[in-house]
Amino acid sequence: MNPVALYNHDAPISAAQQHQFDPYEMNGGSSLVIKGADYCLIASDTRQSDGYKINSRYVPKAFKLTETAVLATSGFSADGLALFKKLSQNLEWYKHAHDKVMSTPAIAQMLSNTLYYKRFFPYYTFCLLGGIDEQGRGVSYSYDPLGSYGAEPYKSVGHKNQQGVQRTDMSLDTAISIAKDAFTSASERDI
Amino acid sequence: MKPGEVNLGTSLMAVTFKGGIVIGADTRTTSGPYIVNRVTDKLTPIHDRIFACRSGSAADTQAIADIVRLYSEMYSVNFGEDPTIRTAAALFHDICYQNKNALSAGIIVAGWDKYEGGSVYCIPLGGSLHKQPFATAGSGSTYVYGYCDKNFRENMTQQEAVDFVKNGIALSISRDGSSGGCIRIATITEAGVDKIFIPGDQVPTFWNKS
Amino acid sequence: MVTRLEQPRGGFNFDNFQRNVSLEQKGIRIPKPIKTGTTIAAIIYKDGVCLGADTRATSGPIVADKNCAKIHYLAPNIYCCGAGTAADTEFTTALISSQLELHRLTTGRQTRLSTARSMLCQMLFKYQGHVSAALIIGGYDVNGPNLYSVMPHGSVDNVPFMTMGSGSLAAMAVFERSWRKDLERQEAIDLVKDAIDAGIFNDLGSGSNVDINVIEKDKVDIYRNYYKPNERAPKEKVYKFKRGTTPILKESIKDILVITEGVEAMDIS
Repeated sequence: MNPVALYNHDAPISAAQQHQFDPYEMNGGSSLVIKGADYCLIASDTRQSDGYKINSRYVPKAFKLTETAVLATSGFSADGLALFKKLSQNLEWYKHAHDKVMSTPAIAQMLSNTLYYKRFFPYYTFCLLGGIDEQGRGVSYSYDPLGSYGAEPYKSVGHKNQQGVQRTDMSLDTAISIAKDAFTSASERDI
Repeated sequence: MKPGEVNLGTSLMAVTFKGGIVIGADTRTTSGPYIVNRVTDKLTPIHDRIFACRSGSAADTQAIADIVRLYSEMYSVNFGEDPTIRTAAALFHDICYQNKNALSAGIIVAGWDKYEGGSVYCIPLGGSLHKQPFATAGSGSTYVYGYCDKNFRENMTQQEAVDFVKNGIALSISRDGSSGGCIRIATITEAGVDKIFIPGDQVPTFWNKS
Repeated sequence: MVTRLEQPRGGFNFDNFQRNVSLEQKGIRIPKPIKTGTTIAAIIYKDGVCLGADTRATSGPIVADKNCAKIHYLAPNIYCCGAGTAADTEFTTALISSQLELHRLTTGRQTRLSTARSMLCQMLFKYQGHVSAALIIGGYDVNGPNLYSVMPHGSVDNVPFMTMGSGSLAAMAVFERSWRKDLERQEAIDLVKDAIDAGIFNDLGSGSNVDINVIEKDKVDIYRNYYKPNERAPKEKVYKFKRGTTPILKESIKDILVITEGVEAMDIS
């Protein structure tokens, strides 16, 4: 046999493949917070999905942290749950260390710190925090997965051109109605 | 196979016997992990006494079979005589070889004609053509080479040939994940075509009884 | 003057193909076509066929159309359910239905299902799966009721019951549970409805309503929105902007005049 024939230089050489580690999943979901003068309303749907598939029709993604604070999540369900457990544990330690329940604005800062602590392996969760502050006013905060947060993120932009719009304080009943309408509308257009 | 393409992960057998040929196939058609059709007929009529057994891409083999069926029909109209199995096999061979880069098709052509009696031709992936006393093809064929080599005899009776094919397909189905469902068998002799359907719950079982 | 060489030819136009490839290489994202994440299903029953489809069209996670029609006309005695890219299913069925109409005028006979089947699968095979239309053809011809399914690459199956689209597994589960030979008309409609319903509630790509189409000898019944399990919930409040929400900054009204001088002679060269 011709020894040259042992080496087929025309054969395609497969490129080196790097193993991919992809621990995240997108489980969807919608959450909403409306704050008022003396209340805060937090709403979430309960479906957990993966692509076109429904994992469960009842997996709540809003969690009670204290008597005056609720965390609503969306994104990767398992990370949302892990984050809630971590926050609950910290709140428990805080209670034993200081003999008082952490205030909602303080929880807001702690949530931010907790998220940023995992800057290079983030919790894949989009958080909303709603509750009542120490003065009894409604407060709400929204976060990105790395921990950046703001207290009033959805102040509508561009209403300079809408002369008729007035910012009025909303009653709790109105807020509940709007929240329900928002979810029925969203369920029509979001798969 | 392109992504999303429908596959005939298949067990095919064809065997010559005294008076003609027997062909057999499973009935499973898959697209990835999903069974698109569990009662497919992979024994495709080409002419009165010529059949093609298809494996590979469903779309490719159906398109080829449609073309050869047209050519065979035109042949008998023009020459006033049925095409021989060799002629039909040559037509398949031609299409498979000329378009080998675009096709994934493994085909067995079998039938009876008055010149050669029963004959079996095999056209595997590259488009070559082989006349054989018996042939197996499809993903399940690898599991039954031993069985075939041990049990094939020339000039079997029709019943022996049918049992040979039936057991061969059953063995192949039991080992190949992409073959399954039921068994379809066709016997072609001078008298014509006789088709047998074996439902899934009547497929022969062996030592493992599954 | 348009020369014979410049005259547009029929069929697809690939003029922009090279341009689009280079645009894609430069990192420009090509627009996403609307996919009908779909549940379609059909069965043969005692004296006809029953076709069914959901009515949701999606573009990624967004519902693009809440009530689209996925059962298309092919011939007076043949209809066709489509799954895959919305544009592909609509245009292939429209194209084949026009060819079938011409075929009927030439032959003076009723269209057969096998004719429609051959035309569709030959076209889809020619485009090697790039025209992503997955179709279920159902109808009644000289051979009685019949059903074919055609896959995007051009393969055909001839079966007594079939489901397709992203919800096909949910729908097929219902068929495999309850399908029998020679169902009565109403039993067939109910079974197809249940199959589509399973797709609507268990597959996120499918949703909204159930369309049903029943074809018997010399009789076609189209039940658009036969079953509506997702009626729009009444809103608790009214969200209308008051008049004057958008301010008028300045106003000017002009009469639009079109002045044409003389009449240009038609180019008849």
